[in-house]
Amino acid sequence: MSVWADIVGAEHVEAGTAAAAIDGVVPSWVVRPGNVDEAQACVREAAGHGVVLVAKGLGAHLDIGAPPARLDVVLRLDRLDRVVDHQPGDMTVTVEAGCPLAALGRVLAGAGQWLPLDPPRADATTVGGLVAADLSGPLRASQGRVRDLLLGIRTIGADGALVAGGGRVVKNVAGYDLPKLHVGALGTVGVIVEATFKVRPRPEREEAVVIACRTGPSAGDTALAVWSSAIAPVWLEAAGPGALAEGPGEGAAVVVGIAGVPEEVADARARTLELARSRGLRAITVADGAGLRARLADFPVEPAAAVLRAAMLPSDIGAFFADVDGVARERGVPVRCLARAANGVVYVAVPAADDVAPLVRALRPRLEAKGGGLVVERAIAAAKVGVDVWGDVGPGVELMRRVKAAFDPAGTLAAGRFVAGL
Amino acid sequence: MLSPALLTRLRAVVGADGVIDRPEALLVYECDGYTLERAAPEAVVLPRSPAQVSAVLRVLHDEGIAFVPRGAGTGLSGGALPVAAPVMIGTSRMQAIEAIDAANRRIVVQAGVVNQWVTNAVRADGLCYAPDPSSQPACTIGGNVAENSGGPHTLKYGVTTNHVLGVELALPTGELVTLGGAVEDRPGYDLTGLVVGAEGTFGIVTRATLRLVRAPEAYRTLLAVFESVAAASEAVSGIIAAGIVPGALEMMDTLIIQAVEAAFRIGLPTDAGAVLLIELDGPAAGLDPQVERVSAVCRTTGVREIRVARDDAERAALWKCRKRAFGAVGRLAPNYCTQDGVVPRTRVPDILRTIAGVAERHRLRIANVFHAGDGNIHPILLYDERDRDEVSRVLAAGREILEACVALGGSLTGEHGIGVEKMGQMPLLFGPDDLAAMTRLRAVFDPDGRANPHKIFPDAKTCVETRAPRRQAAM
Repeated sequence: MSVWADIVGAEHVEAGTAAAAIDGVVPSWVVRPGNVDEAQACVREAAGHGVVLVAKGLGAHLDIGAPPARLDVVLRLDRLDRVVDHQPGDMTVTVEAGCPLAALGRVLAGAGQWLPLDPPRADATTVGGLVAADLSGPLRASQGRVRDLLLGIRTIGADGALVAGGGRVVKNVAGYDLPKLHVGALGTVGVIVEATFKVRPRPEREEAVVIACRTGPSAGDTALAVWSSAIAPVWLEAAGPGALAEGPGEGAAVVVGIAGVPEEVADARARTLELARSRGLRAITVADGAGLRARLADFPVEPAAAVLRAAMLPSDIGAFFADVDGVARERGVPVRCLARAANGVVYVAVPAADDVAPLVRALRPRLEAKGGGLVVERAIAAAKVGVDVWGDVGPGVELMRRVKAAFDPAGTLAAGRFVAGL
Repeated sequence: MLSPALLTRLRAVVGADGVIDRPEALLVYECDGYTLERAAPEAVVLPRSPAQVSAVLRVLHDEGIAFVPRGAGTGLSGGALPVAAPVMIGTSRMQAIEAIDAANRRIVVQAGVVNQWVTNAVRADGLCYAPDPSSQPACTIGGNVAENSGGPHTLKYGVTTNHVLGVELALPTGELVTLGGAVEDRPGYDLTGLVVGAEGTFGIVTRATLRLVRAPEAYRTLLAVFESVAAASEAVSGIIAAGIVPGALEMMDTLIIQAVEAAFRIGLPTDAGAVLLIELDGPAAGLDPQVERVSAVCRTTGVREIRVARDDAERAALWKCRKRAFGAVGRLAPNYCTQDGVVPRTRVPDILRTIAGVAERHRLRIANVFHAGDGNIHPILLYDERDRDEVSRVLAAGREILEACVALGGSLTGEHGIGVEKMGQMPLLFGPDDLAAMTRLRAVFDPDGRANPHKIFPDAKTCVETRAPRRQAAM
């Protein structure tokens, strides 16, 4: 303990307990540096003594990834929580990794702006976690993901060096795009300590139209029709039966998010209702579009043994809903599905741990055969047993191994959590 | 010198007409759009397929020979300048559009496909490819991927990297590896995102899977005329502050207005201090209220006149002025050098003042046409290459402008790349640890440093020993 206490002060070091475990692996220590210098010293100490560390913010997303191969220290960054620089006129913000999105959102809202990323558990998500786990929500349909909004990054390398990439301006091609290396890398190639994003004006109004569909496949197809129309939804979800608590009936639904100036919203609403009518489907308007969106964003963290994330082309969503339905009936498993319809991503919530491996075995090959994939996005530790949570990462895997070897040769950073055992 | 045996092996791969090695024929390849420095390769190889690129690279790998990739040669930072790379590999013959998936808004193209062809191929489906650099009638997707190219519509739609879903990369060993693809959300490191903007230093991109966007339902294109660049800059800030994100927000100063008007005669006010080209796009219903709000902002900053394009022909005429502004500058001087720097959007007035000061101090004429909404400046430095003193003043002025961009919190380049032009200035932006991380990344893809060597990173040693004589001679 004394070595960590010497760096961050005894009051910021705790012995690891079950509460700090990641996938059941309990760390020896939880260390909370108070600034970047202290965080660097911690990484240097770890690297020098063969200690494996995992960076953590508020801990809301640690169920993502493979179980750690080894875990000695959890480096908790919640004390690095400043909004470093918000320039409303430049539409950029620089923020420390431990800053909660809620706090950042309040600062941006003061200027009528937002960072249009809406991950699950937004209230318990830090900027570092957002980037490291590449979290997103319904808004990705029109606003993109972390990779599209991240302008610059500061990370601590496995040797303790502070490394900057990108910058603080909205357009920049100087040097390699190092920020992208860290997006979704689960902290395996560096500890993220600061990020700069481009932000956007928050739309004046946000509503939703819920279109009731009879089945999951018809919801998938209806969503595709909306996406192909001139409606230009800001977000677009297709919910399988039972996935959406509200809306018309217990069946499947398409949820169309519309936002902008009042004239735009009124026009998109009318067009969406007309599209539903032309297909003989009932539809209702939800005035609090942002509220409904937040609930849809939380789908992957609703109680379940595991949530799978299936990736495919948007046009395959309807057929995938049918596939899942078939497999689920066969096994008598009551799964629920929600699709980010414009992105070809379907979340599948599985209630019992025992069903996870068989479902993965049944669904993954079909998706991989079509250039997609299936990831066990979130799961209780028991549901990860005997399952490769990531699946086949494709022909780039050898380059990925070389990336990890180049940036963390000793395996100091989050060993074993990422794809291919990296 | 390349051996005759090597040239024979290369001809065996690409055919006799696919290898150019006559000195007079190589002259065309001695520079790209950055003309201040020149050096011809010893041979140019023009493969017709990704498989041929792979085979060519295997030959070069066997012999340990460095290479420089080239698309259409429209790059503006000397990225396609051969520096200690005897073989140039041109992608211009790989022109196949291999697959269009309109329902999913994807397209797969070979590296030599011209940017404009992509949109042309999907226009009937109501789609378009959003990144639209001014050189889009000529520049290739391979070059766009290498440079992470932008264009006027990046403010709203993003740059190349936001629209590339996957690439096929020929590694310097000749191995073809597919990264990413038509499906989003593939697990693993974002190698596609790293390859985009790597300026050809990881290998040669042979194919790309691109994201298409729905063509906007409607446009409103405005030309706002101001007495000064300061007033126009204030309008830009006001538009952003009002929460409006136009599709494009472009500024042209007096010199550019005069050159463009002389070239195209569309009635631009040649006595204006600046004009803003403002384009709003999206669903038709939202546009007129936004036009009204933009106009109101412009009025508060002293706009002289606002013209709204009445039809597609008028819109096209306005865009022609903007996109061909660089060419029109040819009327002002025998040569020009387009700089590319970025400042935080709110510092545009500061950098324009700096540029005016630099022009005066170095006795140069500098015209400005740029992406005001992004803070991405494009000062055009006019000169006559026969005047060696003026050339050296142009180089000094360019460096000073970039240093000022960095000092204001900006960047050395927004969309043209570092190339050879700006490698010496990289330390202004990045420290030794940052640059070390980048070179580690490069070694993942190209451990021998044979892919487009001596670009991006300052390498003083080579600079002195290998390049300086050639570059000096070319000046």
